[in-house]
Amino acid sequence: MGYGIDANKKFQKELNSGTAALVLLSLLARAEEPMYGYQIAKRLESESGKLPMMKQGALYPVLRSMENSGLLASHVDPSISGPPRRYYHITAAGRDTLKSWKAIWDRTKTFVQVFLGGDHD
Amino acid sequence: MIESISKYLQQLESELKGCDRALIQDALSDAEEHLQTAVDKDLETAPGLSESEALPPLIERYGSPEETASAYREIESRISPGLASVRRQAEISPWRRFFGVLGEPRAWGAFFYMLLSGLTGMAYGLWAGFGFALSLISLIFIIGLPVSGLFLFSLRGVALIEGRVVEALLGVRMPRKPLFAHKGLTWKGKFKALVTESHTWKSFGYMVLQFPLGVVYFLLLLMLSSIALKCILFPFLKWFLHRPLLDLPHFALDVPWWGVPLISIGGIVLLSLILHMAKGIGSLHGRYAKSVLVRK
Repeated sequence: MGYGIDANKKFQKELNSGTAALVLLSLLARAEEPMYGYQIAKRLESESGKLPMMKQGALYPVLRSMENSGLLASHVDPSISGPPRRYYHITAAGRDTLKSWKAIWDRTKTFVQVFLGGDHD
Repeated sequence: MIESISKYLQQLESELKGCDRALIQDALSDAEEHLQTAVDKDLETAPGLSESEALPPLIERYGSPEETASAYREIESRISPGLASVRRQAEISPWRRFFGVLGEPRAWGAFFYMLLSGLTGMAYGLWAGFGFALSLISLIFIIGLPVSGLFLFSLRGVALIEGRVVEALLGVRMPRKPLFAHKGLTWKGKFKALVTESHTWKSFGYMVLQFPLGVVYFLLLLMLSSIALKCILFPFLKWFLHRPLLDLPHFALDVPWWGVPLISIGGIVLLSLILHMAKGIGSLHGRYAKSVLVRK
């Protein structure tokens, strides 16, 4: 029901714009070594059970913007088979930010749940 | 239906029409890196598959050119490149605006860029001249084509490095990744693309011109900065080292005691003027570098 598919897509997009950075930061904080875009996309896919939360192509500008803010750092390694790959890793500032963002996320989740919880009644 | 990566890149490029040229280049390299890797992985697991068969589900997950373009547009509108984040000029008194340049990272970035370009300009100019001459001479021999190819390829690398320096110090958005020739091309095709693409020759022209330009930037800044520095430090020179303001072989110019602080203030004013000049030149140079070094 509601406003239809377009409105749902828009809502999903708005949610993603805030959560994508948190998810990527968290994933790279757990990674043992730097990861390139395709690896990150595959890891997200496998860990989320293929939940189609966002298009893989939308991850790249988020990664770049986080690098710009100093949350991530990257280096480019040539690849034998194709174009060079950019490997990302989390910085110390990124780890600090992740802690604060987790706390904010927990508060937001609790706040939203207070109201959504009523749906079950 | 999109049947090849190059077709996808073409459509993505047309969706991004009107955007920053450097953003377009980044978006194209990201898409090429991702889709090429994904296709290669799929072909490894299913050798009978063709690129056109493997691509549709991959694009479904990556996003259509329209969706990808929209993601880049949205994120880019929220970020600003490098040191360019310092942009708060309005509502500041002219007095603060003039001297505020002393604490402005962008002005100092341009200042260091001009100093650095004395060195990089010389390196670029020498490499361009040496490489070009070597390529011409070696064309007589059988090694001519590989040598020329390597030289032309190196121009792309230098253009990318210069772009990174320009973005970091001048705050102008430049490409962050190289856009490589498509995988399907043979060595001959890659060489032909290097020779025929205007980007290669624009990079070459930039490198050659950077030689005189870098030397002029460097000398201009060195001369003016040393005058400003001497004026700022004049109280120390005068009262502790007993040096006059000007000390030439047959001519010396000194100032009375009350003039000493004025000279020092004059030095600070001059340094501010130098930084304003560096900022202006940096902004012009950034635009020039962008128009020449960014491919699309």
